[in-house]
Amino acid sequence: MGLDRRGFVKFVVGGVAGTLFTPVIWQSLDDVSIWSQNWPWIPRLNKGEVKSTAALSKLCPAGCAVKVKTLGGLPYAAIGNTANPMSKGGVCPVCAGGAQLMYSPARVASPMKKVGEGKFEAIKWEDAEAMLVEKLTAVKGQEGKLAVISGDETGSANDVFSAFAAGMGSTGFYMMPGEMLTATKGVKLMGGNGQPGFDIAGADFVLMIGADALDSWGATVANQKAFAATRPTGGAATAQFVYAGPVLNNTASVSDKWVAVTPTGASAFALGLANLLIAAGAVSSAPDFADYKALAAKFTPEAVEAAAGVKAEVLKDLAAKLKAAKAPLVIAGASFGQGAGAVDFCAAASLNVLLGRVNVTGGMTVLPTAPKALAAAIGRESALDAGSFLSAVATGKATPAVLMVYEANPAFALPQAGEMAKSLGNIAFKVSFSTYMDETAAMADLILPAPHPYERFDDAMNPYGVAKPTYLAGKPVVKKPVADCKDPVDVLLAAAGKLGVSLGFETYADVIKAKASAVGADLDTLTAGGAWTSDGKGGNLSLGAAALAKVAPAAADPKTLAVAPVTRQAFGSGSLATPPANLLIVREDELTGKDLVVRMNAATAKAAGVTQGAKVKLTAGSGELKARISVNEGVAAGTVAVPMGFGRSAWDEFTKGKGDNVYKILTVSDEAGTGLKVWAGSTVTVAKG
Amino acid sequence: MKAKEFNIKWGMVIDLDKCTGCGACMTACQVENNIAPMVDSSNKLRTLSWMLVFEMSNKKPCPDAEIAYLPRPCMQCGNPACVPVCPVVATDKNEEGGIVSQIYPRCIGCRYCMAACPYHARYFNWEDPIFPKGMEKALSPSTSTRPRGVVEKCNFCHTRLQNAKDKVRMEGGNPEALPDGAYMPACSEVCPTGAITFGDLKNPEHKVHELAKSENAFRLLEKLGLAPQVYYMSKREWVRKLGDNYAATGKPGAEKKHS
Ligand code: SF4
Ligand code: SF4
Repeated sequence: MGLDRRGFVKFVVGGVAGTLFTPVIWQSLDDVSIWSQNWPWIPRLNKGEVKSTAALSKLCPAGCAVKVKTLGGLPYAAIGNTANPMSKGGVCPVCAGGAQLMYSPARVASPMKKVGEGKFEAIKWEDAEAMLVEKLTAVKGQEGKLAVISGDETGSANDVFSAFAAGMGSTGFYMMPGEMLTATKGVKLMGGNGQPGFDIAGADFVLMIGADALDSWGATVANQKAFAATRPTGGAATAQFVYAGPVLNNTASVSDKWVAVTPTGASAFALGLANLLIAAGAVSSAPDFADYKALAAKFTPEAVEAAAGVKAEVLKDLAAKLKAAKAPLVIAGASFGQGAGAVDFCAAASLNVLLGRVNVTGGMTVLPTAPKALAAAIGRESALDAGSFLSAVATGKATPAVLMVYEANPAFALPQAGEMAKSLGNIAFKVSFSTYMDETAAMADLILPAPHPYERFDDAMNPYGVAKPTYLAGKPVVKKPVADCKDPVDVLLAAAGKLGVSLGFETYADVIKAKASAVGADLDTLTAGGAWTSDGKGGNLSLGAAALAKVAPAAADPKTLAVAPVTRQAFGSGSLATPPANLLIVREDELTGKDLVVRMNAATAKAAGVTQGAKVKLTAGSGELKARISVNEGVAAGTVAVPMGFGRSAWDEFTKGKGDNVYKILTVSDEAGTGLKVWAGSTVTVAKG
Repeated sequence: MKAKEFNIKWGMVIDLDKCTGCGACMTACQVENNIAPMVDSSNKLRTLSWMLVFEMSNKKPCPDAEIAYLPRPCMQCGNPACVPVCPVVATDKNEEGGIVSQIYPRCIGCRYCMAACPYHARYFNWEDPIFPKGMEKALSPSTSTRPRGVVEKCNFCHTRLQNAKDKVRMEGGNPEALPDGAYMPACSEVCPTGAITFGDLKNPEHKVHELAKSENAFRLLEKLGLAPQVYYMSKREWVRKLGDNYAATGKPGAEKKHS
């Protein structure tokens, strides 16, 4: 353009003078607004005052602090809230379409009762609530007859549901699987108590073992913001990121390096790093260091190469970088956010102990136990897992008569999905508190529609992964919900009153108020879009050597392939099918027409005898998944990468019948030493189909 | 052909080393611009994606494979290939700021512009927009809906520019010298990693002004001479090269896939 910098300045300034108060006529847009009146058959725009209101959008598992833009009081868009210290103005791809999800065709419009296989009848709230009370009355005071499954990791609703179960004489409060459950148990194996946190913002070298921290793990938007802060656009990076996992996923795409680790190799990989670090002089004052050292010594680079598929020089290079870093951080997690064991967590997390990176800036923290809103509530540390519970139902060891499901979709999102759905079917009366017609609601005897996040009070205590105690709360954005729904906690509290179970609250809003005051937070600040944080820290950790002694590198069976489910935040979660707007984000190598597409690298495909585009069946036990092959080098050897979240059988025309459900081919085994159910090491056989 | 010059040149610098490919920009774009969701969104020949995130690969075998994500809005070219081919002047580059307009009521749907645009940034409405029942209540007031038979594309959320100018004007400022950040398209605003920096490429007070000149900055299909107002940057050499090689074949899709 032939202008130097000073020339530009002159040019711009010269161009502006004289137009200061002249409104520019944007002719094209004028045309549009005039001419579009000629198309009466397409939707017209609405009119009204534009406002924006802070909200807690718990559509994604961590929850995004957003501002909801409304037109005449009705939401139409969600933008980030720059004032919120968690989200800092960012929004995840699910919450970005939050307003549209209020009008999702999958929304449950009113209470419904089952009148036949797959048939429902709309009923009045008073009849629905009477039915709930009647069924609950029948099981009151009988241990094992009432069960609750919750899929919300952070809300005080869990306090109410678990306290209610206790008041009914039942201990049956279960959580859907996730990192929170596993990691909290992992921390116990390391002699601690509480959920772990990871201070990405303060670290200068972040090794993510499994954890898809920049797309679908933990408080993703907060993680992305922390990552972005270390990469000023146009400037030098101030931290390095390495992703170690079976798939070159979204997190790996922006990391400085991807280390291809097989789905069962994560623990061996971590202990291999420990071995090299100790050889290079790392010592720890943890009481079990001697045992740990002896144990790690077995994980030589050669052993790691055999168990995890990572070359010795890659491992050595990584160990050297960890050693050289001033503030290294190792994030432990399952590559798809669940299914790994507590020992696996321990293996990766122990590196932080070894490196002296616990409860320091940029390190791993242990959060103190969060206060409860109700004394009888079950804390996170003692939560039981829904998968084990449904397995017990399958074998007749558990015989609940009433199951309440809150914000969870166990019929779809548990391993061996087919069998889990069957065992759900064995429970005589199932109530689903759900905003959407998910697979579990479709099996329920009674569906009690829950509000969308813009229509309800809710809160989030310590979303998984946050480094500090953190509390957020939100209140309704709209005056009236779109559906004939009621807050599940309000419904439960009313039922509790009728059943003579005293919980001390009448509404969820009151529960949240009590929680906020127990925490010491100002509720008005929170609902205006703020967040409460504190510096409280939990105690020290050991290296978990006793638990780690159980790590045995799994011998790979050459006839099978390891399954690596792939999560993407945009595709929703177990309890939320891919939002209609986000279908555009799904690539052809994830879904083609109605076929799910699974990926494997060329060498693996050759060994399995399959080629690009081939139709295949992946089989594990009684589970079978149909898909097409895409040859892709971003997958570890001997592994098949399968997108997660497809193959819905309920919901709406946008998602129903598209692709297949990877949960069907995930097989559960017992973790040695902890008895936890794990399914990160699932394998399948591949056949043309 | 010489690029049309304006005093203000709205543009983007997209940092590909920060883009995680999450897709939030695509969602925010659909929301802002009232793009109706499609039941079969896997038919990429029918979908409307003003903002589209591509996946690029270094084509090396595992474990040396690398990928990068590339968000692609309309480039608002200085020499737009789409403009001269339009028989009815439904698209033009004639306004301060350099945003290439698309005037739906004038568009006769001949799709010459679609064929001409090497970035595949233009989309044809094969159907009238159908929103699931009730969802039309969540239409954004920013953009009128378009009927079947017309072509549409990204316009850098043009209404936001008008709104930003109005706001500055009301506050007694100069609408022709908006401060950095006063006008931002929805994609740039929502992006959780801040990968999309937006501003006036000609204004030294705007971040994009310097960023676009950085040694790691490049434009797609630079060789074609369309002078895009969208820049990319990456420290990864293979990513920068792919931006150029793309021009060499002229064939999109060979090295890239939709996201
Ligand atoms: S929102 Fe940002 S990080 Fe996400 S795909 Fe778009 S540009 Fe990339
Ligand atoms: S990117 Fe395509 S549609 Fe946009 S201005 Fe350039 S040629 Fe025209």
